[in-house]
Amino acid sequence: MTGPDLVLAKITKRFGGLIAVSDLSLAVSPGSIHGLIGPNGAGKSTTIGLISGFIRPDAGSVAFGERDLTRLAPFAIAGLGVARTFQQAAPLAGLTVYENVLVGMHMRYRSGLGAVLLQMPGVARESRAIAGSAGELLDAFGLAPLAQTDAKLLTFGQLRFLEIARTIASTPKILLLDEPAAGLNQAERDRLAALIRGFRDRGIGVLLVDHDVPFVFDLCDRMTVMNFGSVIAAGDPDQVRRDPIVRDAYLGAEAEGEAAT
Amino acid sequence: MSEPIRRKLERAGLVAILAVVVAVAIGGSRLAVYNFTIIALQAMVVISLNLLLGLAGQVSFAQTTFMAVGGYGSAVLTLRLGLNPWLALFISAFMSLAVALVVGRPLLRLRGHYLAMATFALALGTYSFVGAATPLTNGSIGISGVPPLALGSLSLDSPLSFYVLSWIACGLTMLVYAVIANSYIGRAMRAVATGQDVAAALGVNVTAYKGLAFAIAAVIASLAGSLYVEFTSFVGPDLYDIGMVVNVFLMLFIGGRGSNVGPILGAALLTMAPQYLAGLEQFQNLVFFVFLLVLILVWPAGIFGPVRN
Repeated sequence: MTGPDLVLAKITKRFGGLIAVSDLSLAVSPGSIHGLIGPNGAGKSTTIGLISGFIRPDAGSVAFGERDLTRLAPFAIAGLGVARTFQQAAPLAGLTVYENVLVGMHMRYRSGLGAVLLQMPGVARESRAIAGSAGELLDAFGLAPLAQTDAKLLTFGQLRFLEIARTIASTPKILLLDEPAAGLNQAERDRLAALIRGFRDRGIGVLLVDHDVPFVFDLCDRMTVMNFGSVIAAGDPDQVRRDPIVRDAYLGAEAEGEAAT
Repeated sequence: MSEPIRRKLERAGLVAILAVVVAVAIGGSRLAVYNFTIIALQAMVVISLNLLLGLAGQVSFAQTTFMAVGGYGSAVLTLRLGLNPWLALFISAFMSLAVALVVGRPLLRLRGHYLAMATFALALGTYSFVGAATPLTNGSIGISGVPPLALGSLSLDSPLSFYVLSWIACGLTMLVYAVIANSYIGRAMRAVATGQDVAAALGVNVTAYKGLAFAIAAVIASLAGSLYVEFTSFVGPDLYDIGMVVNVFLMLFIGGRGSNVGPILGAALLTMAPQYLAGLEQFQNLVFFVFLLVLILVWPAGIFGPVRN
């Protein structure tokens, strides 16, 4: 697949005396799914925060192709094609589902303030085109019936899919999914898995962080396992599954993993 | 109340406002013309706060600061430097923009209560400053004799001409608000207001959008401040005291955020109510307070407030 990798090199983050992430290195290639698993507090969500600019690392770097993302603001990182979802699915409350997706498409708008104030014809044209795309995206995600509903009224599952739709609307090249399967029922999980595979097939590089170990094993092409902020295993999912260190850290989960194969 | 019905009501409200404005122009008494001129200028400031707070969610008490820059700017530039009042108006607005950009940077890093406190401090500081900076502002005495605006050789100092000018200015302000609110810029501001991190993750330059709302609100408040001083030919510190700070907020919250009708309604109510209550003398404040309380209890989100729920 074409496009550069997202590369983390020796990322370290301390919160006071607590080492949240220590010397983490990994790469996400376009057109692949890279799973990141580990017990609670292993540093997985912190990693997503570090990549997406919400947290500044104490050491190490994040690069996307030639661009150094390490000290950029979140909006700039999103602008370079690296997008993230949030663990606590947050609706943009007070905005409709449709408007939520339009915010996802924010970066497509090129009209300046002056053009908007003077209501130049190009502004309306651009709005219509983007509105059309938003409608299509809502249809693809099955959210069209909810388009005019205030996002804060959505059920948990609907909110999850809205969040993913909204993030995909920003046309990312790399997608960081922070515990997307949490709280979803089996049908929703299957739908989510199909979506993620679809993203991969369209050339997006996915970093999939989740607690549901079988879910991640099932989907990923490569895997990294963290514990207490450090990488304890990385590589091919089958290798990782059989790694004794991983088994130690994941006694119970490993049994589920085997049952899934 | 559903959204389509609310939109119809809003349109009806705007038509009603237009009708009243025209009616007063044609057949209004001297007092009515005076009052409604004040209402137009007050409404401009409330609309500016609507943009900053209602749309972008930034709790700022500092609109009076920019009203003061506009008001004192106009007075000083025309009287001391002999500038054309229109030029003074625009230079003052430009100065407000500069202040907004400089002060906004550090201020807007604060959120919620902290932003509220910091902007409140700025407003009170402004009041103190204009009262104390006597060489510039003539201190607590204020500056009188501010020359009126003129259109060519036609001096706009008749009540009716100022009335028309004020409502044109207010109308333009409403247009600016409506155009921004309905654009992707307004949507980005609403996203910043309700979910700043989500907005940032979707590529919205949160700092820039907060700054933009702050700057636009500052310029509008400055223009309103200048026009008010041109209208009354006088500027003094008490125009920008804590009462005015609170007043602007009250007008917005009683009238309702989310559309242009609310601010005008709020401005009208709070400008006219004290006059109707004047006859009650010592009960004036009490009745006014009860009146406001009833309004807030019946319409917690403002009379014309957001109803999406």
